[in-house]
Amino acid sequence: MNALFNPRVLGAGFLLAAAGVLALYGQPDLEQKWAFMAPEYASRLEFREVYIDPAELLRLINDDYIELVIYDVRDERDWNIFHLADSERIDLKNLPTQRKRLRGLSELGVVVVVSNDEILATRAWKQLMALAKPNVYILEGGINHWLNIYGVVDEEHEHGTASLARPDGTLRHPFKLALGARHAAARPDEHLVPHREYTEKVKLLKKVKKAGGCD
Amino acid sequence: MAPFDLTATLGVTGSYLVYLGIGFGFGFILESSGFGDSRKLAAQFYFRELRVLKVMFTAIVVAMLLVFWASALGLLDYADIMVKETWLWPGIVGGLIMGVGFILGGYCPGTSLVSVATLKVDGMFFLLGHVVGVLAFGETVGYINEFWNSSYMGRFILPELFGLDIGVVVFLVVCLALAMFLGFGWIQRLIYGRGDPE
Repeated sequence: MNALFNPRVLGAGFLLAAAGVLALYGQPDLEQKWAFMAPEYASRLEFREVYIDPAELLRLINDDYIELVIYDVRDERDWNIFHLADSERIDLKNLPTQRKRLRGLSELGVVVVVSNDEILATRAWKQLMALAKPNVYILEGGINHWLNIYGVVDEEHEHGTASLARPDGTLRHPFKLALGARHAAARPDEHLVPHREYTEKVKLLKKVKKAGGCD
Repeated sequence: MAPFDLTATLGVTGSYLVYLGIGFGFGFILESSGFGDSRKLAAQFYFRELRVLKVMFTAIVVAMLLVFWASALGLLDYADIMVKETWLWPGIVGGLIMGVGFILGGYCPGTSLVSVATLKVDGMFFLLGHVVGVLAFGETVGYINEFWNSSYMGRFILPELFGLDIGVVVFLVVCLALAMFLGFGWIQRLIYGRGDPE
């Protein structure tokens, strides 16, 4: 009986019990982890600090200095109809597979998530933050907003303007053909599209010194 | 949620003071555990004295439980903790070389610094050898560059190797530590007819 009250035995028993309870309790999944992180990061969503204007995304796409990753989290049907050039389609449930890649991004790495509106992209943003805290942003208004600005309005494509007032997560632009990234709006020429004022929100982790010649 | 950016919170000087305090505390624990004495350290390899195994594994297990309990309760983001990346074969070869050096010299790099702090002559010579080894390695690593950078696995931890939950692996490591304490104690009593002094 006295052997049981030996401090070493008690210590070993305590460690074993703490480990056993931990094994049963488990580690937080991405949703739980976001709940832990929310007090620190939710304000970025609330104050829309991470929702970037389509014009800013277009600038990023054309900036060779930036290591840009665009995740399109819409379903395959909408993706086949239209998607941004160089974007990658990924389901929300598969985001954890990107952990190593995101952790390996350089200081010039920027991740942008897009969906039809902002609903799915915002969920993806939370998951990515819980996963690896990359330098991640959301396309403001989603693909519907992008097409409102850069969609080619002509008889063939019949675009027009989709209302952003009541986002329901659907693609609200009609397409006659599923052109994917072959659509003219998938990579609009920044020199040809009308100039658009926007507030820059993307902050690189490292300042890029742009210089020409022998600088 | 931890880990916190100490430099942002306390400034450069404040953060350096914290690092100094942690380093001093670590050295103090090593010295007070007897790790500044090469005879006690080397005795581990002959099962004469198991204090290295007991102190180190107890520290590992307690720290591991604190880290993963803190992570489970949302106090710490484990993904932000720096984990040494794995280069499998260079790591194994390096570990073997260090093990041989440990048996021959009676110290590992950290404990040799502790022994120097308490003015032990053998520790000073060991540290000198350590510095010479580092310089020699730095000058010759170019010749083994291919091997040195081979079998890179990135941030690789045991749960990924075994395909188990982190909590289960933590539990198994605690069981392993306790089994080693018992098993090595049994071997010690078998060879020397006695256990470690209380």
